[in-house]
Amino acid sequence: MAWGGCGVQTEVMNPAGDLALRASDLRYAYGDRVAVDGVSFELAPGEVLGLLGPNGAGKSTTIKMLIGLLPPQAGSIEVLGMAMTEHRSAIQARLGVVFEEKNLYPTLSGRENLAFFARLFARRDVDLDALLERVGLATRGRDRVSGYSKGMRQRLTVARALLNRPDVLVLDEPTDGLDPVSARSIRGLIREEAERGVAVLLTTHDMYEADGLSDRVAFIDEGRILALDTPEQLKLRHGQRTVRVRRRVDGQVEESVVTLDDDAGDRLRELVAAEGLLTIHTEEATLEDVFVAFAGRRLE
Amino acid sequence: MSLARSWQVLRKDLRLGPRSPIVLWALVIPVLITLLVRGVFGGLFAGEPRLGFVDLDGSAVAVELADRDGIELHPLADEDSLRAELTAGRLDAGLLLPEGFDAAVRAGESPLLQLWYAGESVPADRAVLTAMIIDAVRSLTGVAVAVDVEVVVLGDEVLPIELRLLPLIVLYAVAIPGGMVPAASLVEEKERGTLQGMLATPTTLGEVLVAKALLGIILSVLAGTVTLAINDAFGAGPLGIVLSVLVGAVMMALIGLLLGAWAPDTNTLFAAWKGVGVLLFLPAIFFIWPGLPMWPARWMPAYYFLRPAFAVSVEGATLADTVPDLAIGLGICLVLIPAVVAAGRRLERRLVTGRVEPDRRDEPDREPQPA
Repeated sequence: MAWGGCGVQTEVMNPAGDLALRASDLRYAYGDRVAVDGVSFELAPGEVLGLLGPNGAGKSTTIKMLIGLLPPQAGSIEVLGMAMTEHRSAIQARLGVVFEEKNLYPTLSGRENLAFFARLFARRDVDLDALLERVGLATRGRDRVSGYSKGMRQRLTVARALLNRPDVLVLDEPTDGLDPVSARSIRGLIREEAERGVAVLLTTHDMYEADGLSDRVAFIDEGRILALDTPEQLKLRHGQRTVRVRRRVDGQVEESVVTLDDDAGDRLRELVAAEGLLTIHTEEATLEDVFVAFAGRRLE
Repeated sequence: MSLARSWQVLRKDLRLGPRSPIVLWALVIPVLITLLVRGVFGGLFAGEPRLGFVDLDGSAVAVELADRDGIELHPLADEDSLRAELTAGRLDAGLLLPEGFDAAVRAGESPLLQLWYAGESVPADRAVLTAMIIDAVRSLTGVAVAVDVEVVVLGDEVLPIELRLLPLIVLYAVAIPGGMVPAASLVEEKERGTLQGMLATPTTLGEVLVAKALLGIILSVLAGTVTLAINDAFGAGPLGIVLSVLVGAVMMALIGLLLGAWAPDTNTLFAAWKGVGVLLFLPAIFFIWPGLPMWPARWMPAYYFLRPAFAVSVEGATLADTVPDLAIGLGICLVLIPAVVAAGRRLERRLVTGRVEPDRRDEPDREPQPA
């Protein structure tokens, strides 16, 4: 069965049933500095889980443990029903990974880069041209990567992560620093893979990306998961929704912000009924607001 | 450990080779050095051994030698002329055939044969000429006869500088492609983050290191044998030469892996290579100035492939003569293997704990360029 063509979708093999990945009580410390401290979560096939946190929160260390590069000092990882400690190589054969850095060979062409990694996965059935077309590099596939822009390199690394028809995709800051067109293209690919049934773990410090792409979001800070839920629930439970009302009073524009709590109805009715109403805007809490509520600091 | 994956990494490295300045530098420089030495000193191993002879009695030995291939024969009128040519270095050896020599041999006597060698003649050429002369004398009777040979060396017994430089050229041809190329390739993979990319596939660091070692060995054997071939230095024992180069290639590849696994970046690697290079290249000094005592060279690993290669190509030694040195060289390689394994484990730890970070300087921030 050939794979990689535009619009060609195949089912994901998942003999483990409902769970693609399970991380249980992961811990890792670099000397005295604790990087990951009891991280636990589960990821289902077709689900996109956003790991959201500031730099140094423990995202990359968690990722390294999940892809088998770093053995946890405590806790366990299970991918597709296989324990990482016993089946690292078999798990890696079914993982697709996009690192934050664009780790490609600049003097090889995009196509040659893909061909090399396909051979490491022992995949000889990959239609490289179709894959290049899928990431928008069909016309540049035979050019050396040294001539690619940052966005093109990132799209190529996403193509590389898809070479082995992964069951689990792990993406470390996949759109960091990209132009809006490239970022949108990569988000589209992530959605397509999730629709195909691939479980996606995404780290980012971009709250809008996490909000738009993720089925669930985990806030991580100082090595711990502070909250894990759908973006809607997080915002609903922990964020404040407000209404911003602008009126002209005695020739001056006056702005009032009403928090939507139990007493908001009366206050709003009063503002709307008053003379000089100019605009009314409802405002929903952002994930950043929720993160600040949990961590006491911004996502920077 | 999958050799198939090692082969894929090696294949990729061989494909990248012609696009890498360091690989081209490693392969081209030994050839350029050889051409330079040939140009300055008049050629290495140039031509056939030159034998001058004075025949006072119309000896059949001279006729027999004239029929032989592989030597350059120069008849001279008298002993003084022969001595002058040898002292001036225009001949490698001289033969004085006295009156009545043939008759004495045929009568079953053991006449004295005077064989003179120029001090700067090559031991391998001396061996060839001695064998040919004795064979020519035996052809007089058709059976093995006893001949007393008196060997006289004229002038200082010192090898010509172009031969004394040979170990240095061979060392360069073996050490740079064998050691520096895999080390630089490994460091480059670390800097680009491609090593981490490979390790996120089922590929292990051991498989990558095997591929890098094979890369060094292949390039080193290629550069070493080509350099020796263009110097016409295979002598009478090509197998001994090839084995010497092979031991050197393995040794250098292992040293290269140690350096490559240890060095966090290219600058550090080049700085370290300069330091290690002094120790690696030191034995060549003792061949250039043979008056120096050779024992310090024996403490350097490179001695144990340089010495056998030199012995076979210059001194006419056989493979059996080189076995002790080659065995020690092989022993050094075996000792280096666990050191490389330990260095690999340390590298793996450093990679995953973020102590080796990819260099992002070459990542462009610009937008796509027109194709």
